[in-house]
Amino acid sequence: MNLAVDIIKRGGQRQTERFMRDKLHKSIVSACLSVRTPEGQAEIIAHAVCDSVIIWLQQRPEVTSHDIRIVAARHLKSHHPEAAYLYEQHRITI
Amino acid sequence: MDIAVSIAIIALAALIHASFQLSVSVLTLLSGHTISAKRTQSKLLRLTTSFVIGAGVMTILLLSSLSLLLLNIFKGQTPQIVWAASCGLLVGVALSVWLFYYRREKGTSLWVPRGIARYLNDRTKSTKLSAEAFGLGLSSIVGELLFIIAPILISSLVLVQLPPFWQIAGIGIYTVISLLSLIIVWVLVGSGHNLGAIQKWRESNKYFLQFAAGTGLIVLGFFVYVNEILGSTIGGF
Repeated sequence: MNLAVDIIKRGGQRQTERFMRDKLHKSIVSACLSVRTPEGQAEIIAHAVCDSVIIWLQQRPEVTSHDIRIVAARHLKSHHPEAAYLYEQHRITI
Repeated sequence: MDIAVSIAIIALAALIHASFQLSVSVLTLLSGHTISAKRTQSKLLRLTTSFVIGAGVMTILLLSSLSLLLLNIFKGQTPQIVWAASCGLLVGVALSVWLFYYRREKGTSLWVPRGIARYLNDRTKSTKLSAEAFGLGLSSIVGELLFIIAPILISSLVLVQLPPFWQIAGIGIYTVISLLSLIIVWVLVGSGHNLGAIQKWRESNKYFLQFAAGTGLIVLGFFVYVNEILGSTIGGF
């Protein structure tokens, strides 16, 4: 399910795009897998986090990609703190 | 300068080099992307091994090229002004490391040009072949040239004064010690350790590593200055 929410990209340099659940789902699964979480569990966690983010998005016409990352990390933390840590660290490792 | 002192200087310079973190960051990211892409453990090992070898090869190339250049310029008789300037460079880099090495934000972002950081980030994501990982290892060493140039320069100045056998041994010692931090992460990732724990350790100890690298550079600069400038002035040789 894709909501009619515009995502303003990092730094505002790239074009805005529509929110894509699949994209968020994939990034959460990747974070879980990179801390060696079993694939099935990673999928379940990603579904739960995406649902929570979509509820948060429903009242907002546009948000930044950074906001999405913060909200997703907050929800991911309650399911898998280590995956949430790596998810947050992704852009601030180098 | 006798051989033992020369090797000690090279070893300390290499240890300082090992405390710089760009290659370790890239290796951590590369491991994360490889594991999350559901590639096999043997593929992960192949990629990380190629990365470490790439970093080692670039270190050898930099050190030996600079040594050859210095040997051709000074013919093994390095003027004191060059030693003094190199000590100044060590102190300058030490101060920059203390002040700027890590960005003042969460995580382990380094004070390297953002263009290079973005390039390494993007390349890490798209690395699938061992040859690409090897190239990434080469690039990550070039990316931190701004900081490693000081220990490499001092090591080169010391190397050109050594007999041929010890020059090769010195290059080997420098390369192995400078790769220690990468080798530790490579072993941890290869043995199935959690990347989150590795990254957490790196983040919580980043200011210590920054302080240690800066202090190491100051100590090295002071030691070389006393040995090469004051020693020859007071000792008269």
